[in-house]
Amino acid sequence: MEGRCSVETLADFGFLDASFTPKITPGFGPDLFVLTGSDEVYVFNSEERKLTLVLQFPGPVSDLVQSPDKQLIYVSCSSGVYCVSPQLLLSRTQNHPADVSSGPPELQISSDSLVIGEEGVLSLLLVGSVLLLLSHRDTLWLLSLYKTPEPESSSCELLGSFSLPLVSAAVCDDDEAKMGTRRRPVLICVHSVSTSPSEETLVNSHYHLESVLFKLLFGVDAALAKSPVVLCGLPDGRLCSLPLRLPGSRLRVLHSLEQPVVFVGASVVTETAPGHAQCLVAVGEQGRVLLMKTENPEGGDRAAGFLETCVPGPAVCGSVDKQHLYYSTGSDLLMLDLSEKSSGREGQEKNEESFRKSSAVVHSPTGLKVCRVSALAGPARDATGGVQLLSLSVRGQLQKILLPEERKDLSSHPSAQVCRSAGDLLSAIGDVCERVSALKTAIKSKNQILKHLNQVLNISFLLIEDANTEDQPPKQEKQIRCHTRTRWSRLLQKDSLNLTCVLENSSSFILERGWTLSITVFPVSSSLTAGKESSSTNFSFPFHNLCPGETLDVSLPLAAAGDASFPMRVSCSLLFSLSSLLGEQEVTHLPGLQSSCISLPLNTLTVDWLHVLQVDIKKTTTSHSFYIEADPIQAFLNSHRTEFSRQVETGGREGPSKTEQELFSARIRVSSELLRDMLVSDLNPQGSKSGLCLSLLDWLLSEGPGGGKGGQQRDKIDPSSSVVHARGPNGARVKLTAMEVKVGEEDTGKEDSLSTVDVEVESSSIAAVCGLHHAVLRRIQALMLSAPQRSASTKRLQSLGLRPALQRAEIISATAEPTRTNVDVKLKTVDES
Amino acid sequence: MYQPTCLLNEWMKENNELVNKLKQQYGGRDTLSRDQNQNRLRWCSSEFHKLLRKIQGVPPLADGTHLELSVAFNACVCTIAQSQFTDAELHITQAIQRALQATEGDLHPVASDLPAFWKSVLKSLGNTALNSCLLHLLCLQWAVWLATCRLKTIQQFEVDLFSLVETVCAGGEDDRGSKFIGRSSDTPLLVTEPRKLAEFLQICTSITQGAERLAEGLSSEALSGLQKATSLSAPRALAAYVHHLSGSCFARMSCPQMALQCYRKALETDSRCVCALYQSMLIYRQLGNTQAEIQALRLLHSTLLLPSASVPVQADVHPLNPSLLLCSQSLNSQLSVPSALSVLHNLALKCVLHERVSEGVEYYLDLLASLHSEDPHGARTKTLTDMQDHLTDYAKDTPLPGLPQIYLEAGAAILMARRPFDCMALCNEVISTTVELLPERLVLEDPEERSESGTRDVGAEGVDKEAVLLWTGAAYLLLGHCHTHLKDWKQAVTHYTRCINLLVKVHFKKKGFQPQIPSADMVVKQGTNLCILQRLKGLSLAGRGISFTQMDKLKEALRDLLLSVQAFPECVGAELWCGEVLWRLGRKHEAAACWEKSWITKSPVEDLPLYLRELQSGPSLDSTELRQRIQELGPV
Repeated sequence: MEGRCSVETLADFGFLDASFTPKITPGFGPDLFVLTGSDEVYVFNSEERKLTLVLQFPGPVSDLVQSPDKQLIYVSCSSGVYCVSPQLLLSRTQNHPADVSSGPPELQISSDSLVIGEEGVLSLLLVGSVLLLLSHRDTLWLLSLYKTPEPESSSCELLGSFSLPLVSAAVCDDDEAKMGTRRRPVLICVHSVSTSPSEETLVNSHYHLESVLFKLLFGVDAALAKSPVVLCGLPDGRLCSLPLRLPGSRLRVLHSLEQPVVFVGASVVTETAPGHAQCLVAVGEQGRVLLMKTENPEGGDRAAGFLETCVPGPAVCGSVDKQHLYYSTGSDLLMLDLSEKSSGREGQEKNEESFRKSSAVVHSPTGLKVCRVSALAGPARDATGGVQLLSLSVRGQLQKILLPEERKDLSSHPSAQVCRSAGDLLSAIGDVCERVSALKTAIKSKNQILKHLNQVLNISFLLIEDANTEDQPPKQEKQIRCHTRTRWSRLLQKDSLNLTCVLENSSSFILERGWTLSITVFPVSSSLTAGKESSSTNFSFPFHNLCPGETLDVSLPLAAAGDASFPMRVSCSLLFSLSSLLGEQEVTHLPGLQSSCISLPLNTLTVDWLHVLQVDIKKTTTSHSFYIEADPIQAFLNSHRTEFSRQVETGGREGPSKTEQELFSARIRVSSELLRDMLVSDLNPQGSKSGLCLSLLDWLLSEGPGGGKGGQQRDKIDPSSSVVHARGPNGARVKLTAMEVKVGEEDTGKEDSLSTVDVEVESSSIAAVCGLHHAVLRRIQALMLSAPQRSASTKRLQSLGLRPALQRAEIISATAEPTRTNVDVKLKTVDES
Repeated sequence: MYQPTCLLNEWMKENNELVNKLKQQYGGRDTLSRDQNQNRLRWCSSEFHKLLRKIQGVPPLADGTHLELSVAFNACVCTIAQSQFTDAELHITQAIQRALQATEGDLHPVASDLPAFWKSVLKSLGNTALNSCLLHLLCLQWAVWLATCRLKTIQQFEVDLFSLVETVCAGGEDDRGSKFIGRSSDTPLLVTEPRKLAEFLQICTSITQGAERLAEGLSSEALSGLQKATSLSAPRALAAYVHHLSGSCFARMSCPQMALQCYRKALETDSRCVCALYQSMLIYRQLGNTQAEIQALRLLHSTLLLPSASVPVQADVHPLNPSLLLCSQSLNSQLSVPSALSVLHNLALKCVLHERVSEGVEYYLDLLASLHSEDPHGARTKTLTDMQDHLTDYAKDTPLPGLPQIYLEAGAAILMARRPFDCMALCNEVISTTVELLPERLVLEDPEERSESGTRDVGAEGVDKEAVLLWTGAAYLLLGHCHTHLKDWKQAVTHYTRCINLLVKVHFKKKGFQPQIPSADMVVKQGTNLCILQRLKGLSLAGRGISFTQMDKLKEALRDLLLSVQAFPECVGAELWCGEVLWRLGRKHEAAACWEKSWITKSPVEDLPLYLRELQSGPSLDSTELRQRIQELGPV
């Protein structure tokens, strides 16, 4: 076919029921009736391009026919046949313009308009005043004839019925048989030429047939009685005929296509017999086309010729005009030229040849490149002479298809024709190009998605592997991990602690679109205080691309000063939502996908007191600053400090100075050898004694949660005294002191004295002391775990002692925080002995 | 433990409700369509069976037996009404076995021998309370036997069934009495009254038996059985059937007057019994009483056109339809009636053949009009059996000839009524329809050989080429006659010539011979296409010959007339005219011989279509005048 079809969507009726053959019937004037397999009949005005009326029936509608005067429609649904006058109903609704704004009026059709109570009617046909109903009973096809009701009566009179035994359902399996009950058999009416005077009286599914063919097919009697003949294409492949007005007539099988009949029509009009079809066409579902023509062999008698050919199937629906058969395979709309160009006048020898030629033509239908057509309504010529088809697509779109104009002057102007055909070819190439590029982009996007998915899977496996090996001490660092930094900031006179989370991608994979970093922050102690509701906070940061070696920094507010309980646990995980793989449109069609995502834990970090200390820059030891709290609870605590400070002091070997009598203190003693091994190498290569204390403090303060560097700076520490003054997150002042102590000097029983470093925590706030104590212990435990196996005996001893101490401290710090009044706490410093 | 009485009451209530519902349906004056009726019946049937299954779920109990058997009765009535006879039989025997087990404790094996089973059951009947229930079930078994045409079995049980009817009828009276006294909830209700059912079965059995015997040729036995049945009370339609069958018996015994009496009685009993009217028409035909035959045909036609004629016989009270039980093939053939159109055709033909031409023409015109009416003729009158959808229904009756033949007959009749223009219109219509289908050449085969080989050249298209050719030929012949009638000799010659040209295309093939143009010396059997062909040829040649005579082309006339006589020796007109031409040519003695020959009485030609008869439309020769001429000529 030269040129392209223009397809215009007129309306959308939503997805169609796949088991139902939809139908479009041109109605009164510009009205169209559309059946989609639902309970509704849509009346669509093709001029105004809108739905004018929706008729709602009590059951699924199977077929619809119109009376010849187009005033009434007969609609068959599961409970019977209804007779409705759409014009009347429409005018009635227009009289009540209450709901004009809200779309087309919907009308419920009541059982008052039920005219025939026959159930399971599949197809209807109206011939004159006779309404034919084709239904499917247990073992037969039943064709019932009813007289259409007189205006005053409300029901039809049964005139008779014809039946045809069902061909064994062995041909199709059960599923198809079930489907078959909803597939509409084709019912058409064929008139002999002499029967009806003019073409205008014909309505849908009525055809004029040339008289010789009519007589040959249906007999002389039918022709003489001027009887219309009903042709019935059944889903079992048979094509049956029934002369309507003949005494003793019965259903006669004309031919069997051996595949469900999809369409029956009449076509081929030549100049010799204008207006009268010379060929009956039946189309089977698998593409078998039956042409019934008058054969006029040389010297022989005329006979009806049944020519069967195959065209590329499957045929979904069909339609004919004067020369062509149009049928849809679902993927394309095809056009078949049925006319015999060379037939007729030239001589009888050529007839045979032309017949063969016509069959050759039949083999190659031309594609019109319109896909997904599931119902067609008769071709019509518009004002400009173009052929126009109405179609209903599988997606329920009512479309107007304008076929390209035929070239009538093909032979007369060869050069012009060549030009035009070249142009047409070019446009066709453009067409194909467009389709190819669309296909390419689709493939490309699919590849992209697959790549993306591959990355995601790789990352998932990597992370899962990491999670599984978490129990063992990690030999190498995780390839994708998170570490954090804390920093205090002051905004509007309020201090707040910010946590900066750094996602580090040292793997070889890219974290692409769709990943989200999710950070959950919750106090460690909250799990112990069951009475409170857990105060975990969730942050998520979707990000686009994180290439290998790149990092992603995100900041989140951890707490304002004074209203958070430390230590806090920061749990990081990576989320991947599946919906991001697909485009938005696809996602909307798959509602289940929207919520589905993969969650992969990264690592869990702890933000402890050491991380959140605000170290004073000046080396002040002003004691009065310890008493500035205005907190009434603090005041209360202060008043009682004398009582419990004693107890605390029993734990501490070297009590604080007199002026700071009411301070709490805790001390941790660590082997300096160990510290030297671990810290000096990188901190202070000189290895001086004060350097060791200093580097310990520095290490304590600088180590950020999860290995990152903390917010503190080394120069804030007083290098001479190795004392750090700082402010805790609750505002309490704390003092961290590190000093080297020889244990052996005191304990005479031991030969080689052990040099240790004492870390002392002092504060007026017990919470601060507990928290810091816990934090320091944690650090040292971590340090020991990472210490080399050398000197294992002593180290194990230390670590054994440390662990219960750490546990105790954790419990105490947890209980001390919420219940400050419960001061019956014993702090014990842990000695390495 | 369950509470048997309480359950029994529940079940009884359920049963009674169902029965009342079903009775409403049948009491409700048939407002529902047949489909809906069937649906209701199906529903009731399944409900009854559900109930029965519930009851049969517990071991057989003496207390519940009465109820169980009643429910089984109801369920089986519904099953039979849906023509599921084997199912019904199974349920009946099951129910009886359980009942007997409950009361006597001994099992009655069914095996395959149903009659033996029933014999043993009937023998062991002692308990009177159970007796009636069992008899009701026997009624149903009877119905099944009747519906499946097991008349021999029924005959075996004739005595038992006879006593059954008596006891049931007697019991029915008692039941009725007790029913008024006791509340209806105390006793399980039945779907149909057993007394009515038994009576109904009795009459149906008599009718079927009568029909079967009649078919077997045992007319007198059939008659005695039917005579007995006349005394039974029966629905109107069934009583009419009894009379009708008696009539048929008399007819078979060649007592036509008695038969007519019986048919009259049948019609008096039920005016819708059209089959009686039809049979009496056949008897009048047999008797040769043409006027009465025509009268009967006319009556039959008008009765068939009445809307009430198509309403099937309805059993008013219970779901068991007469059509279910009267299914014997021989009965159906007795009750069948041709369609209204076919009767009308017969009537028209009879009128034309028996000198009532103008009346016949009217009937022919009526026939043509009704053929062209909008109504499809698939809707025809329904006999009893049409209640069941049957495929053969629409195929079996068409004694109506093909439409072209009716056209031609009508044309001939109209020509006989001296309306040549109307005849021409009809013939032209036939020709316009058939002319395009005429074969170039045609080979007629010996019909006997053809029936042996079984191949008929009708073709898949349904066009019989021989018939088409003969119809067209006849139409041309009639056209020729019309023009002869109008004394338009030239036109007449044209049309006769067309007919002859058409006919010479036909070759005749005999086994072992080459196809040849049929000649006069062949033995032509009547009623075959060959006979029609020869007759057509003879008539058209004669017609052309006469026309030539009128145009004074005596040579041509003589040739045609001689050929005509040769082709079709029985043609009287041709011989007479042949003589006339010879006379005019001066061969007076030959002419005289010709005339003498034509006066020898010839065997009348039967079974030929109306249009192939010699119509007295053309110029005629007065035989007395001819005889005078012969006398004047004197001896040779």
